[in-house]
Amino acid sequence: MARAYDHLFKLLIIGDSGVGKSSLLVRFSDNRFSGNYITTIGVDFKIRTVDIDGEKVKLQIWDTAGQERFRTITSTYYRDTHGVIVVYDVTNGESFANVKRWLHEIDQNCEVVNKILVGNKNDAPESKVVLTEDAQRFANQMGIQLFETSAKDNINVEEMFMAITRLVLRSKKERKERQANANNDIVNLRKSHLKSNKRKFC
Amino acid sequence: MGSRYRENVRNVFECFCEIVCPKGDHEPAWILQKFPESYKDEEVLRVVPKFAFPCEFDNSVVQHYSFVLTSADSKWMFGFCRHNPKSDTSFVVLSYLPWHEQFYKFLNFVSDLTRSINSDELWSFLNSVYRNPPPDFGHPLQVSLKDGVTHFVCTAPAQFQLPRIPENRNLTEYYNAVDTHNMMIIFASMLYERRIIFVSKKLYRLSACVQSANGIIYPMNWQHIFIPVLPKHLIDYLLAPMPYLIGLPESLLPNVRRNDLGEVVILNADTNTVETPFDDLESLPQDVVNRLRRQLKNRAVLLGDGVSRAFLQALVQLIGGYRDGLRFQQGQEITFNPEAFINSRPASMQPFLRKMLHLQIFQQFIEERLELLNAGLGFSDEFEMEACSYMDKTSSRLKQQYKEWTFTIKRDSTAFLRSVKNRANPAVKSAVKTVKERGRNVKTAYRGIRSKLRDPSPVQHPEPRSAPGSPTESSRVPVPTTYKRERHSTGISDTNYTKLTSPTELDDNSQYPPLDLNINLMDDLQDVIFNRGISSSKLVRSLENLSISNQTPVDKDKKELASSTNSTWYTSDDVFLATPPTLPPRKNQPPKLPAVEEANLIQLNSTSSMDDFDPLLSGKSLLSSDSETATEPKIVGLINPLYPYFTPKNQEKKDNELLSEYGINFNSFQLHSGSLNAAPSSSSENSQNFSKPPSIGGSSNFESQGTHSKMTFDWTTFD
Repeated sequence: MARAYDHLFKLLIIGDSGVGKSSLLVRFSDNRFSGNYITTIGVDFKIRTVDIDGEKVKLQIWDTAGQERFRTITSTYYRDTHGVIVVYDVTNGESFANVKRWLHEIDQNCEVVNKILVGNKNDAPESKVVLTEDAQRFANQMGIQLFETSAKDNINVEEMFMAITRLVLRSKKERKERQANANNDIVNLRKSHLKSNKRKFC
Repeated sequence: MGSRYRENVRNVFECFCEIVCPKGDHEPAWILQKFPESYKDEEVLRVVPKFAFPCEFDNSVVQHYSFVLTSADSKWMFGFCRHNPKSDTSFVVLSYLPWHEQFYKFLNFVSDLTRSINSDELWSFLNSVYRNPPPDFGHPLQVSLKDGVTHFVCTAPAQFQLPRIPENRNLTEYYNAVDTHNMMIIFASMLYERRIIFVSKKLYRLSACVQSANGIIYPMNWQHIFIPVLPKHLIDYLLAPMPYLIGLPESLLPNVRRNDLGEVVILNADTNTVETPFDDLESLPQDVVNRLRRQLKNRAVLLGDGVSRAFLQALVQLIGGYRDGLRFQQGQEITFNPEAFINSRPASMQPFLRKMLHLQIFQQFIEERLELLNAGLGFSDEFEMEACSYMDKTSSRLKQQYKEWTFTIKRDSTAFLRSVKNRANPAVKSAVKTVKERGRNVKTAYRGIRSKLRDPSPVQHPEPRSAPGSPTESSRVPVPTTYKRERHSTGISDTNYTKLTSPTELDDNSQYPPLDLNINLMDDLQDVIFNRGISSSKLVRSLENLSISNQTPVDKDKKELASSTNSTWYTSDDVFLATPPTLPPRKNQPPKLPAVEEANLIQLNSTSSMDDFDPLLSGKSLLSSDSETATEPKIVGLINPLYPYFTPKNQEKKDNELLSEYGINFNSFQLHSGSLNAAPSSSSENSQNFSKPPSIGGSSNFESQGTHSKMTFDWTTFD
């Protein structure tokens, strides 16, 4: 049976409750009929198939309840995922502090996993407390992209999801390329600086 | 916090539902009626019928099973179901309390009530239960029907009791269905936080096995997706990339495409087979595995809490040394230093422990312990007891840490406690073990003591003589039953049940007054302790409790002890109680500590029966009865069960518990530190020790045993 997609990626969305993860997912998702189970089984996911440079990529984006209870989110949580969308609320400094801590943790302990930083609720400048410069500085320090979004006004949401998808797709291809190179017994120094992703994709 | 159990639960149950069975694919299950009517969580009500009928299943016998819902804050709500093949409806009760046996019994009782002609009975019964606050650990919940003859009685699970076979139905089912080797594989998979699927045709087996698998990693708690029974419509959630523990009805298995699942561990509980792509059991430190395997092979000891304890001891071997990673700095919170923890462990274990640091279950465990410590709350659960027992006490760095940390704390008030901390717990275990190994005569002797302890203590509420949740008992309901079941066509039930609109008044005996305390008798002690701020040493609190509780029952006449001798033995000991009451409050002393402390002391010393023993303050009523307690302490974590408990039934276990909870601790604590062989051989010897108030700080009591010079020496080093 031919698959309706070329790639299947599982992504996680993490962040305190109340930062708008669900809203982002609803904006993004195309299966609007599925229920929302996060409040009854503590986990939910949304699906969407996107087209990247002619390739069909099916995305599952998973969310779990009560992450804010974790001072650190440990690597086992990310182990089988291809990418992580880390969301804070630009009007809530604490939510930013939490994701900073979590990202540091990922950086220190995880296998390389693609990640992206998202400041949501960027639609009310008067109540914004996490300044773009601060967030950007942190993102640069961590070597990740920052997107400031508004799920409410549908600002930057699409761009953000496409960006993480591209990242994941690129790592998959790089990994394959590296494997091919290794198989051909070719040492490609140029590629050696690239992060290797241990996870098997698809 | 690590616990997934909700705290401060106000009602025994949240909602009771009668659910109409689905008819084919076209008529899904639906809620016929619910109690209370005011329960409005639409999300929950929407999914409850689907969880009650998760798939087509063999419904030929009455069966109980449970499901779990997870709220937005990741706390669990339990749904207990009772399916009766002869009925068109099933009963579900939703509760935050993981009281499986109790709720199964409850549902049986409800089922019998529905057979009675007067349907009002059911609703007034539900109302009575609903309006009761949950009973304290080990306390009974008793509700009488209006006829005055029929009673529903069940006992809340005891605190800190490991799940036992056969009393704990879940563990018994797990043990029967899955051999110990496969249990070990699952245990290991959980320690690697895998994605784990349990499969069974039987819903009760599914929920029992999943619940037990989580119980077995106690003191840790599964932090990830936890769905003991996955309904058909949620089958896609097996694709989750995060760790999970999911029970899948076997009939849904064909709907799952194996390739999409990725690397999962699958336990088939019907065929007792495990498929795993990992070598998790092999990757655990092998001495731990071997020891565990040896213990689980000894079938003779697996009855009771043998299985639970074997796994607990494996975890103690692995993570019991977390204490060595604790770091104290004056004026700051206690922290955990992972490197120190790892370095304190044997080299063979270190690689695994490094991985363990990256487990969410371990992180949350540490967080929870730190939170308790920093809140000034001690704990002495089974894990800590085992850990103390396991720890090499002389080489423990913790002892040194305590020393440093408490350097500026009033030494004379803590020295005793510290020394007890370091010794009493292992001693308690040793005492229990010793007693276990002793002959029957010793047990009999202890039983004698136990009954003596019991006799003078008026139990506030009649204690049920039976263990309510045992497999046999749960099917037995104390109602005169007619087995001619009144068929519930939906119409009939509907009319029957709609009668109930105004809740009937509670029966008087369903509301338990606060525990009767011998507060006035304890005044002297309270004053002394409270003013002196003994509580300034947070870490030894639990031992304070222990040590003090140890004294409580030793005197047959507790009132006398409390009013006269207690104050004597505290104040006469200048090591322990020399400071004047004007001791300035310490900086790093949490403000709420004295209250907690005091409450503890009151509670422990004024317990009037074994049921009241409660080192962790679950008896809230005690606090409220203390007028000097300015603020009610926030009790975190351990007020709720950390694992599925069960009510004790086994007599021998009760003995051992009593020993550990009461004076025998102290007695064998002496023996332990002196000579393990010098176990008590007669009750007269024990009661001799008991009947005199031990002079705690002084050495005379110990010297009199003739074998405790080491102990005495250690104590004096802290002065």
